Amino acid sequence: MTELTREMFERASEEQRNAEKIRRPSIKYWPDVWRRLKQNKLAMVGLTLIILITIMAIIGPMISGYTYYEQDYSNINVKPNSEFWFGTDELGRDLFTRTWYGARYSLLIGILAAAIDFTIGILYGGIAGVSSRRVDSIMMRIAEVIYSIPYLLVVILMSVVFSSQGSGTSLFVIILAMTITDWVPMAILVRGQVLQLKEAEYSLASESLGADQGWILRKHIIPNTLGPILVNVTLTIPRAIFAEATLGFLGLGLQAPKSSLGTLANDGLAGMAVGLTYQIIFPALLISLIMFSFNVLGDGLRDALDPRLRK
Amino acid sequence: MAEPILSARNIKKYFNVSGGTLKAVDGISFDIYKGETLGLVGESGCGKTTAGRTIIRLYEPTGGELFFEGQDIYKIPRHSMKPVRRNIQMIFQDPYASLNPRMTVEEIIAEPLEIHGIYKSEKQRRERVYELLQLVGLNEEHALRFPHEFSGGQRQRIGVARSLALNPKFIVCDEPISALDVSIQAQVVNLLKNLQTQMGLTYLFIAHDLSMVRYISDRVGVMYLGMMMELSKSEELYDHPIHPYTQALLSAIPIPDPEIQRSRKRIILEGDVPSPIDPGPGCRFADRCFYAIDECRKVTPEFKEVRPEHFVACHRSGEILAGTAAMTK
Amino acid sequence: MENILEVKNLQVSFKTFFGEVEAVRNISFTVGKKETVAIVGESGCGKSVTASSIMQLLPMPPAFYKGGQILFKGEDIVKKTEKEMQQIRGSKISMVFQDPMTSLNPTMKIGKQIVEGLIKHQKLSKKEAHKKAIEMLKLVAVPQPEKRVNQYPHEFSGGMRQRVMIALAMVANPELLIADEPTTALDVTVQAQILDLMKDLQDKLNMSIILITHDLGVVADMSDKVIVMYAGQIVEQGNVNDIFKNPMHPYTIKLLASVPRLNMKRDESLHYIEGTPPDLYIPPKGCAFFDRCDHAMKVCKDYMPDPEYHTQEHYSRCWLNHPLAKDVRREGSVE
Repeated sequence: MTELTREMFERASEEQRNAEKIRRPSIKYWPDVWRRLKQNKLAMVGLTLIILITIMAIIGPMISGYTYYEQDYSNINVKPNSEFWFGTDELGRDLFTRTWYGARYSLLIGILAAAIDFTIGILYGGIAGVSSRRVDSIMMRIAEVIYSIPYLLVVILMSVVFSSQGSGTSLFVIILAMTITDWVPMAILVRGQVLQLKEAEYSLASESLGADQGWILRKHIIPNTLGPILVNVTLTIPRAIFAEATLGFLGLGLQAPKSSLGTLANDGLAGMAVGLTYQIIFPALLISLIMFSFNVLGDGLRDALDPRLRK
Repeated sequence: MAEPILSARNIKKYFNVSGGTLKAVDGISFDIYKGETLGLVGESGCGKTTAGRTIIRLYEPTGGELFFEGQDIYKIPRHSMKPVRRNIQMIFQDPYASLNPRMTVEEIIAEPLEIHGIYKSEKQRRERVYELLQLVGLNEEHALRFPHEFSGGQRQRIGVARSLALNPKFIVCDEPISALDVSIQAQVVNLLKNLQTQMGLTYLFIAHDLSMVRYISDRVGVMYLGMMMELSKSEELYDHPIHPYTQALLSAIPIPDPEIQRSRKRIILEGDVPSPIDPGPGCRFADRCFYAIDECRKVTPEFKEVRPEHFVACHRSGEILAGTAAMTK
Repeated sequence: MENILEVKNLQVSFKTFFGEVEAVRNISFTVGKKETVAIVGESGCGKSVTASSIMQLLPMPPAFYKGGQILFKGEDIVKKTEKEMQQIRGSKISMVFQDPMTSLNPTMKIGKQIVEGLIKHQKLSKKEAHKKAIEMLKLVAVPQPEKRVNQYPHEFSGGMRQRVMIALAMVANPELLIADEPTTALDVTVQAQILDLMKDLQDKLNMSIILITHDLGVVADMSDKVIVMYAGQIVEQGNVNDIFKNPMHPYTIKLLASVPRLNMKRDESLHYIEGTPPDLYIPPKGCAFFDRCDHAMKVCKDYMPDPEYHTQEHYSRCWLNHPLAKDVRREGSVE
């Protein structure tokens, strides 16, 4: 026990006391979400895979030394070797290049579709959420009707209506067909969030300050819905990619010689029958990996955003 | 007496619910004079929060008139309310829910300034935010932090700063201290009192803690199930409560003094507050009242002045005043 | 008086991602038979953590017992396994929480919840248990118990739900009841009813009560002994008259002064305590009240004072008690 002296009992000065000091480091929202996401090993695997696949999609076709459309009749249906890393198809085209080229398209389609869903969804859902109950009801009924239309039917109709030169469908039509019905779940999500947050006390406070609905929507509601929206987007991408892959697989995909992972899988199907399984394995594997990665990332994000699961 | 800055006449707010019509506020009237604080007390379900929100037209009223500086603000189309809102502000009850968790303190306090386009330059706006922070006992270093980093009392002070940004004339304080610890309550209440003197503010102070309300208010009104039971100067109310409900309420407050508290004669009410959905005729307090007679269950008592500036809604107020009222329970 | 509970040098901390937060920092107190002990303090002072740790109800991790003992009738609770605790919880020690809505199962009828407790702890048959459940509702003054026993929690008002919580807690005639802010969420008239009920039950069942609250009026009404906590430590302790009539710690004094009295004059200034309690992520070396204390001295910042006894039961931990302080203060006239 240290010696206590008289001067220790003198009054402490004002500077020594700091009544309002905050000692903890400041935790901002998104950095904290990122930290929590990092703890989820599976989500990190997914994220890494996505990054790797994206990089490969960009540089893959460039480093192979071949183009995706070059046909080489002397090298038909070659199994994977040192020259053709993924082998060739029935027209002698290098499958390594075509696969990564296809990946580009698939990713592009996935992201574009998600972006369109996102935009339409937020606008539609946001407006429905802040409108009167009647307008909201009407808007929701319309959305439900649209959603109940089978999109395959829509694609076929679209491709017939917009078809240009024979087999295959243009990128524009594919994206149009997919997003024409796919925005609805996002809109419903946004609308639900808006309805809930509209009643939040900080929204009420904003209204009492003189803000109009548009302001409240922009400044208060949307930023607070970004979490669930982000999760939804992350899960929309693989859905869109798979949808496109299905189209390709059914022969309604991109026009040859352009390839997407779906059309490649379709092409490879014929090869599988004669024992050239490599022709279908690579695109199928890639589709699976992309979907898996986005799905675990989306799940991880959902957990990281949930305030109740905070560690 | 000068004209009141705010006059509420027969304010009603009903909600349509599955069981019928919920009459949250069923005809209350009062005046508030410039520079004073009117306290509004009552327990849960009495409608005081709804009343506060209806008065500033956060909820659309079902009936009644609200005169602010002579103008009936209920007659203004809702989308033209913006300029009126500069003068009438609100401090909310829940310091955890009334601040947007994604916005910094600076953004939160600057919001009213932005909505009304007060300052052209960001620099001026920031200066004003710092000024407001100082007013409530916080400082610049808090401006860039987020609400969750603060304690309840500090968050409430941020809410106060926000409500002052536009230099309003009238502020409705909706249970601003209920969610705070006692020592912090005192902090916020003192702050409000000082600001009132400094800035010439008028308050409607809604709360359920009678001791605190008495301390800050000039006059106090007691609500029960959507209606006003008693209204008078605060000392008068606490020293000479007339309405049986007010008496029970005052009796129930535990006094922080063991000797006094344990020797008090207490009025313990039985049962629960009845439902405000489609209430029947007569006085709302009749079935729990110790003085209730037949008339109380049939006829709604008039809210009238029984002593100078002391209003009560009770059929037996005369007898209670005279001390001749016998209990019926 | 024999002691039913003895807390000795209890330390409880939480592991968080940015470090250890010391919620309870070395506290000691006893609870005697049929005694009511009130623990008062602001939010974050550690009173709820203390209560939960007596029942081993804290999630471990992130919480952990850093040190000390909790002796319930001589046996150390800290050392008990979950299975052993289940024998104690609800039967020997019961707890009532602040928010009855979250402690009651919303999908189960009230009667069923009580019956389950009765079957488990008192080994009654279903029929007997149902009868007893109605009796218990009567005991806690729920009107029309035969009808209400078949209702769901949402059909009850807040006050009624709290009564049901108390009934559930009484099911096995516990020896100790821990009530964590039982009336904070209730209206004042309902609070009066519930406090009366608790006093009545205590009398009938010879129960001890630990009452956690920040409402000094409630403390004055119900308690025998008062413990004042601040930032995880006990700063003052004594019987209820000592604390209210002769508070010694600046925090206690200020706390009492910040409660408005019904008989106060309106132009009197309401005392309040500036600032906020310290964050226990980096607990202060010396007295935790240093930043907010009007009498703060240099020694207070670096050293924690020992308890100083003013009467046999009443002590406070403050450097103002030290003889050197009296000298300096007399000169400086700080009052």
